[in-house]
Amino acid sequence: MKLFVEIHPVLLARAFLASFLLALVSCGVSTVTIEGSFPTPNISKLPLSVAVYYDQSLQDFAYMEYSETGSEEFNVQSGQSHIALFNAVLPAMFDDVVVIDSLDDAVAAEVDAVFTPLIEEFQLALPTKTKLDVYEVWIKYNMRLVTAEGDYIADWVLTSYGKTPTETFRSTESAINDAAVVALRDLASSFSLSFAQVPEVRDWLAQL
Amino acid sequence: MIELFNQWHGRTVRGVLLAVLAGCTSTTVDEFRQGETGIASDEAVVILGRRQASDYETRSEFVQCVGDRMARGEGAINVVPEQEFVDAMFPWFEPRTAPLRTRDLEQLMAENVVAEKMSEFGIRYIVWLDGFTETTDRQGSISCTIGPGGGGCFGFGTWEDDANYDARVWDVGSLTNVGTISADATGQSYLPALVVPIPLIARVESNACDRLAAQLKEFVIGN
Repeated sequence: MKLFVEIHPVLLARAFLASFLLALVSCGVSTVTIEGSFPTPNISKLPLSVAVYYDQSLQDFAYMEYSETGSEEFNVQSGQSHIALFNAVLPAMFDDVVVIDSLDDAVAAEVDAVFTPLIEEFQLALPTKTKLDVYEVWIKYNMRLVTAEGDYIADWVLTSYGKTPTETFRSTESAINDAAVVALRDLASSFSLSFAQVPEVRDWLAQL
Repeated sequence: MIELFNQWHGRTVRGVLLAVLAGCTSTTVDEFRQGETGIASDEAVVILGRRQASDYETRSEFVQCVGDRMARGEGAINVVPEQEFVDAMFPWFEPRTAPLRTRDLEQLMAENVVAEKMSEFGIRYIVWLDGFTETTDRQGSISCTIGPGGGGCFGFGTWEDDANYDARVWDVGSLTNVGTISADATGQSYLPALVVPIPLIARVESNACDRLAAQLKEFVIGN
């Protein structure tokens, strides 16, 4: 018996690579745990003492990407990388930062404000679906700032975006991770530079 | 004598093989100078890729390639690695926050932390690289047969690679755009297959990198 295939030469190498990778991974969902290092922002600190509360939904945040046939394809776990990011960014923004396990601990921590970041939406765009030569990650956040007593200060939406180009010898998992890390860096840059410009935050800072 | 002949013969064979295995590439480099340039031995250049476009981004490998070539050979220049610079300057040179015009750089340099870091690195010029390499004109096909008695491929494929890159040079001292260098490289690659595929690949991106780096080096030195 003979197997006869006809394929474009440019796609030949990719086809072999794809077949090899396909043989390596079993059918089913592929888990991508986002990992990356985040530099400390070079910005002027605000003279504030801030507590940060990481809600359980943020700590455990995961996004499931489905294939065109509706089966689970990629499980992107980014909760812990978001915590690592905020732990790197917040101490560069404020004089004093403490992590609290419960919002009830804020008063005892004697802080000026309590910051609670939440992920509202996560989107992943793969080249196989968009027909573009880039992997894209888009994340929508809800940032909340309240006093230690729980009184409202500010509540605003922030979006971040990251992309990375396709490369012949890079796995989809690695590309998703790289795009997500770019999105997280984008979050860190826009959050750290725009924090004091949020109207409610600006008004609150003026009153202090 | 025989040894000398063997050495010569070996080099000739290698040369012929390289010439055969490399497809044809043509590269055009244009320079547009807007100001005087020059660089001291304690000053450095940083090459950064533009990543603002929605459908492509300047590959960091190409940026690194240009930097590596500028940092070696005659008239080598101190080049700060892109990632090291971007991390040290975080969050000021991220895709969303990076200065798009020299006016933006002027505002950025008003931030003490940015000016200090720039001075620490000894940055005299920022080179913004923008562009990509695309494959077009794919033609032909190759058929491969695999059977119990063996296998082989037969056919012919060809494609064209086109690399277009612009390098804008900003003088950090005068906060002006001192010039733009563009490199356009095109090459046709071939893949004939007679039992075994023989790739004749045009080194388009590599040629664009070589020529752009050489021109940038001369430009920055002020020749």
